[in-house]
Amino acid sequence: MIVVKDLKRYYGSGQTAVKALNGVSFEIKKGEFVAIMGASGSGKTTLLRILALLDDATAGEYTIRGLKVSSLPEAERSYYRLTQVGYVFQDYALINEMSAAENVYVLSMMEGRSKKESYKTALEALEKVGLKGKQDRIPDELSGGEKQRVAIARAIAKKPDIMFADEPCANLDTNNSKQVLDVFKDLNDNYGQTIVMVTHELWHTEYVDRVITLEDGVLVSDEMMDEGGEEK
Amino acid sequence: MINDIRVGALIASSSVKRGNKKTLMFIVFVLSLIFMNLVFLPSMIGGMTVLFTGFMQDYPYGDVVIEPTGDNTYINNADSVLKKVRAVEGVRAATKRLDVGASIDHKQNVVGVTVTGMLPTEEYEISQYPYIITDGDFLGELSRDEIIIGAMIAGTGFGSEIYDNLGEVKVGSLVDVTYSNGVKKTYKVKGIMEGTFELVDLNALVHYKEIEEVYGLEGSKATSVVVRIDKQGTEEQIQDKIREAGVNEQVFTWADKSETLIKQAMQSMGAIDIMSKFVSLIVGAALILIIIYINILNKKKEIGILKAIGITPRSIVLSYAFLSTFYVSLGIIAGLALYLSLMFYFQANPVVFYETMEIRPVIDPMLLIQSIITMLTLSVIAGTLPAWSVSKESILKAIWGR
Repeated sequence: MIVVKDLKRYYGSGQTAVKALNGVSFEIKKGEFVAIMGASGSGKTTLLRILALLDDATAGEYTIRGLKVSSLPEAERSYYRLTQVGYVFQDYALINEMSAAENVYVLSMMEGRSKKESYKTALEALEKVGLKGKQDRIPDELSGGEKQRVAIARAIAKKPDIMFADEPCANLDTNNSKQVLDVFKDLNDNYGQTIVMVTHELWHTEYVDRVITLEDGVLVSDEMMDEGGEEK
Repeated sequence: MINDIRVGALIASSSVKRGNKKTLMFIVFVLSLIFMNLVFLPSMIGGMTVLFTGFMQDYPYGDVVIEPTGDNTYINNADSVLKKVRAVEGVRAATKRLDVGASIDHKQNVVGVTVTGMLPTEEYEISQYPYIITDGDFLGELSRDEIIIGAMIAGTGFGSEIYDNLGEVKVGSLVDVTYSNGVKKTYKVKGIMEGTFELVDLNALVHYKEIEEVYGLEGSKATSVVVRIDKQGTEEQIQDKIREAGVNEQVFTWADKSETLIKQAMQSMGAIDIMSKFVSLIVGAALILIIIYINILNKKKEIGILKAIGITPRSIVLSYAFLSTFYVSLGIIAGLALYLSLMFYFQANPVVFYETMEIRPVIDPMLLIQSIITMLTLSVIAGTLPAWSVSKESILKAIWGR
């Protein structure tokens, strides 16, 4: 589903260029739940942002379902982000002046659905992440875990091909982190949602099928995991 | 595009619904002052114009005035002209006048004036002269050797200290008038008039027959025929009708005649008005821009997030255009309320100008419409430009500042 070939991302040029990614290649199949791990500065967030079309690669090729998305013009990338890609930010990235439901259904409206239909979709998505009845709350009235679950609901409401999550539990305590990861697991197990998640917490590997590890911008390991988070 | 509008409206409405109400109130307050600034001074100047043009109609020119053609001093056979004019539909009243130059002498005080010879009984329908006698009486049909003196030259009215005056002339005083043809005649002051207007209070009035006799005029001559009409605003139609009725003299509306004078009087005020409007617009535009720009800068990250999740830049720009239009609309409504309150206040408590003239501001609907359109146009530009500029930034820079 996702094919990444020799992906590079350099900041600056010449001798002083910082090589955030230096020739990363891998493939992700539909329905996989993949964790990208690595130490701080290893390039994992950079990789995720390029995959989610938020940033451009300096070189290399990146395709989703055969479409070379890395070379799409901005307008099409925007449309692709809207319709095919879900992104969960580390700091939730909710619109503070919108209710939980509005945060979710704004994307459905952008896709052209009616407000009524969009609202219904938002309620379903919020229910899926365990926030039934909290649709009218604004972000300030929600806990960190609930905010992150609204962000997940926003990402899944449009039923994207792939969902990317950038350290979704970084700002959460263990209990809230587990709730969020349970939601991911549920989406992956029961709805076949492809998920690519950046994390640095080892215990998160219990939830994923596969772990890609980066070091200094280079892929150093790519391992399948069993149910207990152990290498197969 | 429809989706962009719907999403833009949703973002804007949620921002209004759940945004900081104190900030909103402050923005609206500032915008209302900008609107006030655009409309208040022009309304006051409008009031001054109405006051001065009213004087022009009520005293020297009426609604339409007929004057001699070319180099002629007089309209010959003014009675014939009057007959034609009075037959024109829409004409309420008309009279003839003779204006001549003279000097008035009283106890060795000499003042140069224009003496107007008029038919007193007809003037009741034509001008305000009969109604501004502050002391004594107006002229009568049989008034001979009697004169009405303007308060400023009599030395009793406001402005006497500015101009040469006759030094406390009272009703019953005798004054000597030397006409421009050298004829000197003594008159008894029958009344003092005070119109709080220099063109009136620096002049004198006598019976039409006086001027006819002094200048030896025959055949009903006049320096002007002053016409009042039934319906204000139809002056130009009446002007055409008078010409069509066979009057071959020069026919002017009061606006034609006043134009130069009023223009001169209003020129400096007009310049201030234009400057004030220009400055108000620039300040207004800058303020709206700053307010919206600060608002947008505070929401730069939000704009980046919206872009990151797939909201189009067009929706984002539209949301800020809607938002600034909403702010400005509220500002206009608040400004209008403030403006109308001030207008009503000044209608009841007019600004006193020159100690005697009361200036009441004029509410000009065209001015209000122009100002509203200007403010709304500014709001769209001010809301769109910064949002467009921020929405063009890369997502990473907008969200994470790099």
